[in-house]
Amino acid sequence: MAEYSRIAKGHFTNDATTVGPQIVNLPFQPDRVEFVNYTLANTNATSQNIISGYWDVSMGQGITVVQGYNATPTLIYDVIPVNGISTFAAGQLLQYGPLINLGTTAGDGIAKTSGTVLTVTVQTPNAIFPGDWIIFQNLYETATTGMQQLAGIPFQVQAAGWSTSSTQTIFQIAWLGNASNLTAITSAADASVAGTLGFKKILYPTLYEPAVAYPYTITVTAGVGTVTTTAPHNFKVGQEIAFRIPSVYGAQNLNSLPDILIPGSPQYFYVSSVVSSTQFTFANAPALSSAFVVNATFTSFPGLSFAQVIAVGDVNTGGDLYSGGNLYPSPQITTALSASSTINGPGILGAYINNTSQGFIMGTGAGRVLTDGSMVGATSNVVYWSAYLSDLAVN
Amino acid sequence: MAWVSERLAVAMRQAEDLILRDYIVSAASQINAGSGSNGDNPTNLGIGDFSLVATTLDTNNAYKFMSGILGENRFGSGPVRSSYFMLTSTELQSDFDALQGSGFLNQWNYPNNTSALPSEYGNIYNIRILTSSEAPVARGASAKGADVYYNTVLGKQAITHINQDGYSMNLIYRDPYYSGMLAQNATLAVKFAQAQALTQDTAIRNLLSTRATALGV
Repeated sequence: MAEYSRIAKGHFTNDATTVGPQIVNLPFQPDRVEFVNYTLANTNATSQNIISGYWDVSMGQGITVVQGYNATPTLIYDVIPVNGISTFAAGQLLQYGPLINLGTTAGDGIAKTSGTVLTVTVQTPNAIFPGDWIIFQNLYETATTGMQQLAGIPFQVQAAGWSTSSTQTIFQIAWLGNASNLTAITSAADASVAGTLGFKKILYPTLYEPAVAYPYTITVTAGVGTVTTTAPHNFKVGQEIAFRIPSVYGAQNLNSLPDILIPGSPQYFYVSSVVSSTQFTFANAPALSSAFVVNATFTSFPGLSFAQVIAVGDVNTGGDLYSGGNLYPSPQITTALSASSTINGPGILGAYINNTSQGFIMGTGAGRVLTDGSMVGATSNVVYWSAYLSDLAVN
Repeated sequence: MAWVSERLAVAMRQAEDLILRDYIVSAASQINAGSGSNGDNPTNLGIGDFSLVATTLDTNNAYKFMSGILGENRFGSGPVRSSYFMLTSTELQSDFDALQGSGFLNQWNYPNNTSALPSEYGNIYNIRILTSSEAPVARGASAKGADVYYNTVLGKQAITHINQDGYSMNLIYRDPYYSGMLAQNATLAVKFAQAQALTQDTAIRNLLSTRATALGV
């Protein structure tokens, strides 16, 4: 009877800056999930603390039975009706969530905050969390101005500048926010696109890595190039990379071809350090032929290609050095704010990874009684889970 | 059992293709179509996009897949340039039809179609177009919310996929006697291992586009 059953277990620690939905990748889609919040179980009884929970596929997606403390505080059973536990299959190609409209009340829109930041303000709470990836659409302030130059580029929502989880209406993305050809989007945005002006969440953005990354700054100092991308690049130190920079952005001499030094021989660079999930440096960088500036005009957006940096070679000295723990560590990928293991076997550093995934999601829904409780707990909580796929589901 | 195993074998070959397809979508660099008229980003495919991509690959010294076809004295036919391949969606066929007379040559109008592949739809400039219902489409992902097609244009030396020796494909059948203690169920499965790589990144481009014509249902 156990021939096709699957059982998996694990734990996660909530991110230090915010607590969003937890995506757990598995080699199957479970039909039963249990969890216990070890940190809160090891804490004095406190109102609204959810300690453990149970989900069965027959309950329905997103519904979860939990145990937690009421106001007394007494341990009670409760049900999370929406945004509880659900299963998912990421599929083979990128999928996008529904369009989230920016809104039409005062303050809604996209503000040009600084040379590195754009601030997005949305009218309605939208369940977008730091680490999520989004693309923009229909960013018209007027018929001929706005930020449509950004539409189609994947951006990661930053931890900094995110409003509290109770409102979820303000977040920031990294871009040349003071670019002169960007016109801030306000609540008075072009009425002809009202209702379509906004963004979509990329549901599972790192299906295959390292993928094409989109730089918004490239600088060179003393032979070291520094590149900052709009979303995690997933490059490794020693990785070979190539640039594809349309002429509108400058810095044409970084492109792999045409190569003025050795005609016909593509020019590649090596990643010399990974500063963060969205920034890296590369060695032997030539002085830029012109400054790299992402400031295309609004009216050029139809057919506008983006500056890209791609991986063209892995680290041929092998994989991660063994440093204890799992004997065959699987490759790490940064999807959210920090790197996490895939379910793959060990791989060569920087080599392409198939990360199409399935598993379950622990949402951030609250209970019917424990209305301020959160199933995924609070910052730094450690949550242990077990997931099962049964051979025989009687009903 | 025969039809199941036949279907399973097809599924496995499709799986091989889709893995390679998805790798290309992820890893190859992109050019957004800009010659179309729908005002989106990317636009629908215009003749100039084919010229731009072929020029890019030529400048990068990519090898073409096919030699040209000399013109013959046959009504409605025209010579075909030596060409790269473009792998694209069947959903764009009506867009290509709309380019008849503007540079698109239907495969049936080749001087002879002995070199045409079964999935070949036609030719524009230095690109011969192969269509498939399995071609990649990102639904609702354009600047205006339209579907985005990943039209992969590649030279000969662009990609490869590697099968381990003796492990390219295994169709496994175990009769019930070996599949369970009670000999109730047989086992039928496929397994394979493959790796894929861009052997020359300069010889491949994903020409991203939207669609001009409405989609049939």
